[in-house]
Amino acid sequence: MRKALLIFAIPLLSAAQYQDNSRLTWIEPGTKETLPAFDEFGNFLGKLGVIQASGTVDTAGHPFFTPLGTNGRACVNCHQPTYGMSVSAEGLRERWRTTGGKDPVFAAFDGSNCPDLPQDQEKSHSLLLNRGLFRIPLPWPPRNADGSARPVEFSIEVVRDPTGCNLSSGYGLKSAHPMISVYRRPRPAANLKYVISGAQNIVLKTGRLADRDPETGEPVSMNLMSDAREPSLATQAIDAIMGHEEAREMPSGKKLQTIVDFESQVYAAQVEHIFAGPLVDPEGPFGLGPAALRDRRPGVLGDNDFDPVFGIFKSWNGKDFYRASIARGADIFMFRQFWIRAAAHINSIGLGNPIKRTCATCHNAQMTGQDLSAGWVDVGTTTYPTWTEPGTWADAADLPVFKITCKKDADPHPYLGRVIYTTDPGRALISGRCVDVGSIVMQQLRGLAARAPYFANGSAKTLREVVDFYDRRFDMKLSETEKDDLVNFLGAL
Amino acid sequence: MRVACLLCLLAAAMAVAQERNFISCPIVRDTKTVPCFLAEYEGELYFLGIQQDITAEFHPPQLKHEVLVEGRVSEGPRVCGGIPLKPLSLSVMKEVNAACNGLLPAEPGIEAPPAARGAGPASHRLAAPAAAPASLSGSQEFTVLFAFDDDYVDFAAIAVVRKAAAYAKTIGARAVRVMGYRATTVLSNGQRLVEKSALAEKRAQDIATLLRGSGVTGVSADWKQEPEAGDGKTDASHRRVTIAVNP
Repeated sequence: MRKALLIFAIPLLSAAQYQDNSRLTWIEPGTKETLPAFDEFGNFLGKLGVIQASGTVDTAGHPFFTPLGTNGRACVNCHQPTYGMSVSAEGLRERWRTTGGKDPVFAAFDGSNCPDLPQDQEKSHSLLLNRGLFRIPLPWPPRNADGSARPVEFSIEVVRDPTGCNLSSGYGLKSAHPMISVYRRPRPAANLKYVISGAQNIVLKTGRLADRDPETGEPVSMNLMSDAREPSLATQAIDAIMGHEEAREMPSGKKLQTIVDFESQVYAAQVEHIFAGPLVDPEGPFGLGPAALRDRRPGVLGDNDFDPVFGIFKSWNGKDFYRASIARGADIFMFRQFWIRAAAHINSIGLGNPIKRTCATCHNAQMTGQDLSAGWVDVGTTTYPTWTEPGTWADAADLPVFKITCKKDADPHPYLGRVIYTTDPGRALISGRCVDVGSIVMQQLRGLAARAPYFANGSAKTLREVVDFYDRRFDMKLSETEKDDLVNFLGAL
Repeated sequence: MRVACLLCLLAAAMAVAQERNFISCPIVRDTKTVPCFLAEYEGELYFLGIQQDITAEFHPPQLKHEVLVEGRVSEGPRVCGGIPLKPLSLSVMKEVNAACNGLLPAEPGIEAPPAARGAGPASHRLAAPAAAPASLSGSQEFTVLFAFDDDYVDFAAIAVVRKAAAYAKTIGARAVRVMGYRATTVLSNGQRLVEKSALAEKRAQDIATLLRGSGVTGVSADWKQEPEAGDGKTDASHRRVTIAVNP
């Protein structure tokens, strides 16, 4: 009965209690605002807190908030404080309604399913509006930094092309400049000191040298972006400005540094749970809230029982029903054992297949729950048969499907073999390797309540769908209570 | 003299009889602690090891793949229902084999040996990354081992490369010679498996690249095209790259 009440209560209470108090619900590029040192934004599970660690930020003329290209976009279009420095599908739909689709976030280049579609029609932007996905056109074959073609271990065919872009004569695989279009969620531009930490000269998962920061020459974490294609915040910013903003000129070094400096001081995390109340508790777990993210040290392994990923929740196992639920969820995350099986770049790196472990085995980086090692993994969100997409024949199927065929002399995908069907080949589009097909860099688990949908392809509309995916994928046999606890826990991050 | 020779032959035959080199599907047996990894050969069950951390010496095999087992029957009682093999080398075969799917539930009376790490989060800090032993001096050779038909530089191999790189930089090595090999494995049924032809070069080039990328200068790479001969006993140790560090 209580659960039923909860289900009906959330929408009502979220509307009543957790409307945005901030003035900055949606920041338009080029506007003059002052971001306070701390701000709160309502969401369906409570409130998100955003800290500017360097103090207030004036957006006027700031290159993160100012269009640097030709389509009117700025970084902030896809990295809004309201949405945990990402953007939610719900927020994008609201933006479509508010602007009649004229907001630059809907730019033809990547804010629509394909640039050659009629841009005034809502259906041409369906992946962005329904799943929060931007088009990521990647050259095929992949290129080295000097522009030369990278060796490729597989051939790729377009099996299904609902957006029309991969078979397009102008933008597709057989166009004058062959491209593969995949569709991905924007990652949060917050808490980034954790994302770029943990660099090792040799990548544990590949046994190969890590990419290097072209500016410093130092190895990088390879945990930026869904496919680790950019080594540093600066090169990522260039990629975004030249691509998403369609700039014709490289941004100046000063502008780049200003963007990197800004991104490096933003911290975002949930600060209040709709029923459990304030999450930052001096007597509670150390890991909640953005101030903890600001203050703690990156690069710490949290897959242990003495200094765990998000702290120790023991003091919340008391009378407060929802705090206790969050604490149980944290315990499931850290301690609930299940068979982790057939996950490329987890089971295949020497751990064995299967292994009896917990969520924290893979989501092991303290404070974010990313992988401390370069963290691309094929957990099965983009590959058949574990993806959650409709059948490839179904009208509802809205993502492209590619058929990957590995060459005979290449190592096959460790669990899917030599012929793989995928909606996004992931890291393989950069590395050209069969073993990387379907592997996506693990995301940070912070500010989740502000930025649905989830997974790189937006395939989980809710946190419950995230939990359901893992429950099915790894046969976790979670009870309904355990699922509720995990949702409450994830929503509190 | 004749008696002595007969004894020699008998001893040799017994020694050979202790080797167990075979390819089969691994079997995973759950226990109340960590899972055991086993493999069956000619109707007998062999214990390979238990689930541990990535830093452990034993890296378990994988369901969905056959495994090449190269081991020697060890004294002592059965472990997890299987005869223990030690020393032991495992190589996961690359191609997917869906038939390799043996996952057994825990059974009363079958327990895994004590594990340094359980199935939950760790209760101790991981060992610090390996550094070159301070006691080393002069010319040194480091050996990187590989699984059969594989060029993957795994956790243990990375540790060796790091040690070699640290040593080379510490002594300011003038020459670091990398030599790659491929090998033959002799199975217990007499079958000979030879690693693919380009592997010695690939292994050598990969290790040289890692050393150069680790800041080591004066690195040269060479490889032996012909496969090392197999003897059914030491074959796993021949799948290697040697790194000779000279002052």
